[in-house]
Amino acid sequence: MSLRELLATSFVQHAFYAVTAVALAAGAVGYFVVLRRQAFAAHAIGHVGFAGAAGAVLLGLSPIFGLLVFCLGAGLLIGFAGAELDDRDAVVGVTLTAALGLGVLFISLYSGYANATYSILFGQILGVTWSDVGLVAALSMGVLLVVSLTYRPLLFVSVDAQSAASRGLSTRAMSLLFMSLLGVTTVVAIQIVGVLLVFSLLVAPAAAAEVLTSRPLRTMFLAMGFALASAWLGLFFGVWIGGPVSFWITALASLAYLTARATNATRARRARRVVA
Amino acid sequence: MNALTMKNGAVVLGGRTIWKDATFSLESGSITAILGPNGAGKSTLLNIILGLVPLVEGSLEVLGEAPRRGNRRVGYMAQTRQADTVATMTGRDYVGLGFDGPRFGWGRDTAKREVVRQALALTGTTSFADQSLHSLSGGQRQRIALAHTTVFKPQLLLLDEPLAALDLAAQAEIVDLINLIRDTTGAAVVVVAHDLNPLAPIVDQVLWIARRQVRSGTVEEVVNEDVLSQLYGHPIEIVVTPRGRRVIVGLEEEFAHPHPHGHDHSHEDVHEHFAEVYEEETE
Repeated sequence: MSLRELLATSFVQHAFYAVTAVALAAGAVGYFVVLRRQAFAAHAIGHVGFAGAAGAVLLGLSPIFGLLVFCLGAGLLIGFAGAELDDRDAVVGVTLTAALGLGVLFISLYSGYANATYSILFGQILGVTWSDVGLVAALSMGVLLVVSLTYRPLLFVSVDAQSAASRGLSTRAMSLLFMSLLGVTTVVAIQIVGVLLVFSLLVAPAAAAEVLTSRPLRTMFLAMGFALASAWLGLFFGVWIGGPVSFWITALASLAYLTARATNATRARRARRVVA
Repeated sequence: MNALTMKNGAVVLGGRTIWKDATFSLESGSITAILGPNGAGKSTLLNIILGLVPLVEGSLEVLGEAPRRGNRRVGYMAQTRQADTVATMTGRDYVGLGFDGPRFGWGRDTAKREVVRQALALTGTTSFADQSLHSLSGGQRQRIALAHTTVFKPQLLLLDEPLAALDLAAQAEIVDLINLIRDTTGAAVVVVAHDLNPLAPIVDQVLWIARRQVRSGTVEEVVNEDVLSQLYGHPIEIVVTPRGRRVIVGLEEEFAHPHPHGHDHSHEDVHEHFAEVYEEETE
């Protein structure tokens, strides 16, 4: 099959729509993950999702329902118990290990074909069906809509929680809102890159963007751009050259981060030379 | 006219009485320093004024009404702000959040640009307003934070430790700016501090919170040996240096052996306080 024919196949088409929707949502939410320094929470929610997916498979349900229940549940738990900064890491850590333990139990109880587990861990973008695409796109668009409507208060609470509270915003409610957004975004990102590589869409693009600009909105759009570029190119390379798409996406997102850091370092060195 | 009136106020947090029988008022256009050891309830007082914590006894009127959350006529500046360490936010962005940060939805207010420009001009921050906050000096960040807090020209301004972690030159700059803001907006300003000296030139009134009591009056009325000795229950000495600075001797005890009703101090806290007292004495 030629490249052109490969790209025209339905599974590549499905994958294209799915990665587009997911990359945009993950880039936007990822900006806040990096801003709020909640990368650990993002990591934990992904792993909690693994337990949910394994549980759903055990019960004979679609993994995405288990993912949704567990990721949202973990997000709300972390958001509720960890609204105060002090104990956030402990709450996240305990949630993470408890859920991973459950995941191990579910897998040991499940005697069937282990492929479902594998695709949850590493992503299986070329296996998504048309109805999966619909669900993923709807969830991603929902996330983007909520982010656009709550962008200012979310930013305010993230950079000055006490002042935001004095102006009438509830820190806890905003924390819950954000963690639900993160939960849903993690679910959709897992569809593409899997639990273990969820960082590549949630954290790497935003971390790269943060290095390059000092304006909030610009950083968020840049993060969405990086996520989209990694996802599209990753899909293309996966089809063209071969290898797992999730590997390509992860490699490209990491490369974007490294390039951003290098660019910034060069820029700083040049500025220093000008001053000298 | 009074910007704030408290009568017989008492506050309980987690079953513990923080302070009680607090009676004082703040005049419009006055500057009040709140002093006292850590954990005495200084920030709690600010939270009560902001409507975030209720009084269990007594009454409080803020700008002629009961305290309520989100009152735009009350400005509040937190001691530490995550924004200061964020790379992707300029001073102008942060001041802008003071204008429309609490607002949900897509709408854009056309007045924002001009209001932010005025706040930056008032605080003398225009020249560095477009730099990332984390690249600014401590004094510059405090000026930006004051711009953020005064966007709506509040009639009551609550500043939590605005001088902490600043060198003496920056402290003097911020004190001047607080004075300027008071003069131009006519706001009553409340400044939580751990050292009266840098603020002394502009302060009209002192609230001293310690051992569950709140004392108020002019600097002379409160920061004197009789009142403080009575407040703490042991002799306190105040030495005035030739340049008019007050060195308070006898509070080391308070920090080394917190009384049973007091806030638990960690070792770190105790250490910090010794350092402060030592610094005051050697200045």
